[in-house]
Amino acid sequence: MDHALVRSEGVSETLTASPSASGTTSWARFEALYRSSRDDVYAYAFTLLRDAAAAEDVTALAFERAYRRRRTFDSRRGEERGWLFGIARNAALDELRRRRRVAALAGEPSRAADASEAVSEDDEGEVALRRTAVQTALAMLPAREREIVALKFHAGLSNAELARVLGVSESNAGTLLYRTMEKLRKACNATA
Amino acid sequence: MRLLDYDEPIDPEIAAVLDAIDATLSGEPVDAQYADTAEIALLLSAERPAVGPEFAQSIDERVARRFAPAPASVPVGPRRRWWSSQFWEATGALAAAIGLIVAIVVIAGGGQGSPSMSSASSAAGSGAGSSGAPSGPPTRSSSKAQPALVPPNGSSATPTLQPPTTGRKVVQSAQLDLAAAPSRMDDVAQQVYNVIGALGGIVENSTVTQTGGPAGYADFQLSVPSASLGQAMSRLSSLNYAQVVSRTDSSQDITDQYGAAQRSLADARALRTSLLKQLASAITTEQVASLQAQIHDAEASISSDQATLNRLNHQVGFSQLSVEINARSAPAPAVHGSGGFGIGQAAHDAGRVLTVAAGVVLIALAVLSPLALLAALAWWVGSTVRRRRREQALDAA
Repeated sequence: MDHALVRSEGVSETLTASPSASGTTSWARFEALYRSSRDDVYAYAFTLLRDAAAAEDVTALAFERAYRRRRTFDSRRGEERGWLFGIARNAALDELRRRRRVAALAGEPSRAADASEAVSEDDEGEVALRRTAVQTALAMLPAREREIVALKFHAGLSNAELARVLGVSESNAGTLLYRTMEKLRKACNATA
Repeated sequence: MRLLDYDEPIDPEIAAVLDAIDATLSGEPVDAQYADTAEIALLLSAERPAVGPEFAQSIDERVARRFAPAPASVPVGPRRRWWSSQFWEATGALAAAIGLIVAIVVIAGGGQGSPSMSSASSAAGSGAGSSGAPSGPPTRSSSKAQPALVPPNGSSATPTLQPPTTGRKVVQSAQLDLAAAPSRMDDVAQQVYNVIGALGGIVENSTVTQTGGPAGYADFQLSVPSASLGQAMSRLSSLNYAQVVSRTDSSQDITDQYGAAQRSLADARALRTSLLKQLASAITTEQVASLQAQIHDAEASISSDQATLNRLNHQVGFSQLSVEINARSAPAPAVHGSGGFGIGQAAHDAGRVLTVAAGVVLIALAVLSPLALLAALAWWVGSTVRRRRREQALDAA
């Protein structure tokens, strides 16, 4: 899957403004990474944190950190997207830590509730029920498994990239994804 | 929860499900047995949150500015950044420079001073008969470090030690060890002769040996007026083609010994005068013979005391100076006034600089290595703790 083409197509064209002479190459690479990954990083952060404002903060922080550290990227250790999502994951987990220190969030926005309103207008019948069931099951997942869904289906990472971001082997990442999917499938069937 | 880190063969059933998921996301058909999984995958993909237009515009602008502060906050940003980066960089550079200078001073200062210049003085106790080796009275000696080979000009600046002589009889002596190139042994020896002749001194004994090879030796036993000893030492320390290896100044207070000799002479003279008077009034032959024998002894005593006084006066008036010149393989500096700087000296200085630089690097490594190790350990512990806390936050969410 070519994420650069499939994902994040709505990035503003204002970014094509010519960069300064120094660091042109690194800036161009960062710009391309931003173009291909902005929406993916946001989607991952939102799914994990379930908070739009926090997801925006984490997305902005992740790209700023990636920009500052862009010269430390080592292509021998993996693709740039994996490196970027590693930074985004650290930022998101820092946000979770901050939440723990402050207080448990009350009244987190419920994706299932939000979605149900849209479903009622746009979808009908069986599809709407299945969609609601998936939303409900996703909302019930623990954060660690919700993160896997976010990385795989919302950020569009391959299994290898998933493994690198999580810091596990590829077979382990695949097993984690399989278990999560099984849990979702059973939850959806139980709801149905 | 951190799972297994090592890669192991994945279960075929799991691999088939994962392939079905990837195929679904790529828009390819999947086997009917994976229909549920494919449907869930599609529904999950459809649930992908979208970026709001306001945030999209905001972050696009930030990226376009390369995350520079917004124009309104520009005056504050650079100043804080200066304090947080340039200030500490400058402080670190200053500390490093001070450390470097201290290290150079320590190393350069610690590598000198093998030969020494020493001075010794001794005072003969009253009644000490021998004028040779000092005996009985307190003896003190001191030494201080001096550069290995003192350039002639530099050495001449060292003043000759002068004991206080107000009313005292002091015997002074000195020893000077020089080094010169074998080919310059004659030149240096001739300069020694010239200096001693100009100051009214005496060359009591001299030996100059030249082999035509790298060896060579010269030794001078000199006697110079004590008033000119300082000048003689100064000039001999500044000879062309010679370098001072060491110098020794000695002094011995013989005031008591001198006074004893004077009293003995006066007593002997008084005795002879008395005997002469008795001789004039002597009547018998025996009396005359006895008195003449006593007068003879008294005159012998007078002669002996007078000789002692003369010798002491000579010792006080003329100082013994021993000069020894040894050949050394390294050429001595050139003639005075030419700056004394040549290729050899430059090579020597360059070697010294390199040695000092290597020492500084070694000391810096010795200091920095443990610090770097501690910093690496602290970094590792910090990153491990941080990673663990992040994972805990994920589990607790």
